[in-house]
Amino acid sequence: MAEERVLVLGAGTGGLVAANLLAAHGYSVTLVEKSDRHLFQPGMLWIAFKGHPPSKYTMPVESLVREGVRLVRGRVEHIDLAERRVRLASGEELGYDWLIIALGASLDYSAIPGHEKLHEEFGDYFSSENDAAKLWSKFSRLEEGTLVVAAADPLYKCPPAPHKAAFLASDTLARTGRKGKVKVVLALPFLHAYPSKTMADIIEPELEKAGIELVTMFTVDSIDTENRVIRSLEGDEISYSIATVIPIHKGPRVTVNPESAVDGDGFFKVDKYTLRLEEYDDAFAIGDCSNAPTSKTGVTAHLGAEVVVDRILGYDARFTGRTNCPVVADGTAAFVISDYDHPPVPVKFSKLKRMMEDLFIAAYWSSLKYPERWRPFFRAYFEATSPERLGMRGW
Amino acid sequence: MAKITVDARGMACPGPITMLVRAYRKAKKGDIIEVLATDPGFEPDVKAWVERTGNKLVELKKEDGVIKAVIEVTAKD
Repeated sequence: MAEERVLVLGAGTGGLVAANLLAAHGYSVTLVEKSDRHLFQPGMLWIAFKGHPPSKYTMPVESLVREGVRLVRGRVEHIDLAERRVRLASGEELGYDWLIIALGASLDYSAIPGHEKLHEEFGDYFSSENDAAKLWSKFSRLEEGTLVVAAADPLYKCPPAPHKAAFLASDTLARTGRKGKVKVVLALPFLHAYPSKTMADIIEPELEKAGIELVTMFTVDSIDTENRVIRSLEGDEISYSIATVIPIHKGPRVTVNPESAVDGDGFFKVDKYTLRLEEYDDAFAIGDCSNAPTSKTGVTAHLGAEVVVDRILGYDARFTGRTNCPVVADGTAAFVISDYDHPPVPVKFSKLKRMMEDLFIAAYWSSLKYPERWRPFFRAYFEATSPERLGMRGW
Repeated sequence: MAKITVDARGMACPGPITMLVRAYRKAKKGDIIEVLATDPGFEPDVKAWVERTGNKLVELKKEDGVIKAVIEVTAKD
């Protein structure tokens, strides 16, 4: 069994956890990655709104890969599921017995008029650590005006990301004596402060406390960079001094045979419990690149990787769709906890949860490289905080 | 005029409204969007969405636990 060739595409959270777990089980794994550095994506928020150095949140991919994993630098161009072959941009072809697709989502700045220009001017906290540093260089110098945090689509990575952006920005403004001069506007495509009403009711008073202006049902439709105005699909507009708009997310930029393996937006169609591609029992998709109806986050990528590895090992493991999205406010945090069978349960903000979030961040690199050693810890946490156990009394 | 069907049954988070907003971006004036959902929160949500965006709710009914909303796109140019 261990002689089977496993090919993992992408060295993000899901790809690294899958490759390193399989290596720990004696598999020989080939891992393809286009970049030489892995970025801890939530770190972009801390770079953009707290001025953290970008170097704090990236690591050489090589240093995160275990013995037994062969790392191939290259960009995946074509996946042939029928022929069990993957072609890289260099022309190199790789065969497999098992395929794990973990290529993440791609960001489309061309879909919204004015978005490319806005991104060029201010950077953002979604595309790269350098773009996040650019946003910090603008935001940290804004003496008065309005910072607008918005989204072009309700489907994006890390649902509480814009909330965290607004909270961290407002915290920085307070610490630098600019609170009354710079206004933070959080404009969201949802009906309430969060897609789930239960969590919205908890988050809304915190936004108010932080002095953040909330605008709901605002889905960015166009950006007028000359006059500094954002217009929404719902027919409203907001003026800005600095704006950052979460781009439209699509599936990875690869061609696939057959084309029917991906949906209209390029996301891989999977069985939501097994994460297996429809009609292919030797290929899986995990994390942001799949169409599994759960949040696109590092936690779902990590848990999905564990399920896929267990299935390759022969166990009937099932992905529950569990989320644990941290909402970080000033010195406190809450988690959005849900799964396929349970909508988000009420989780209050507390200092303890903020400490737990800081602990998760501190453990990040190690949990990618040695996932099997962290597994009992994570399992205990996820069991103790399952939405079924917490129920509507919450946490 | 086109008819767009959005099947959001069994979806709680991110939710059927998310699917509706995504369909609405691609829709043109006069199009009909039909949403099927099982999330009970969808009923008040779709009413609030229609009111805010100024589109027309042609039909809203619940049958065997499935909520069906039919929306005519009237607010787009």
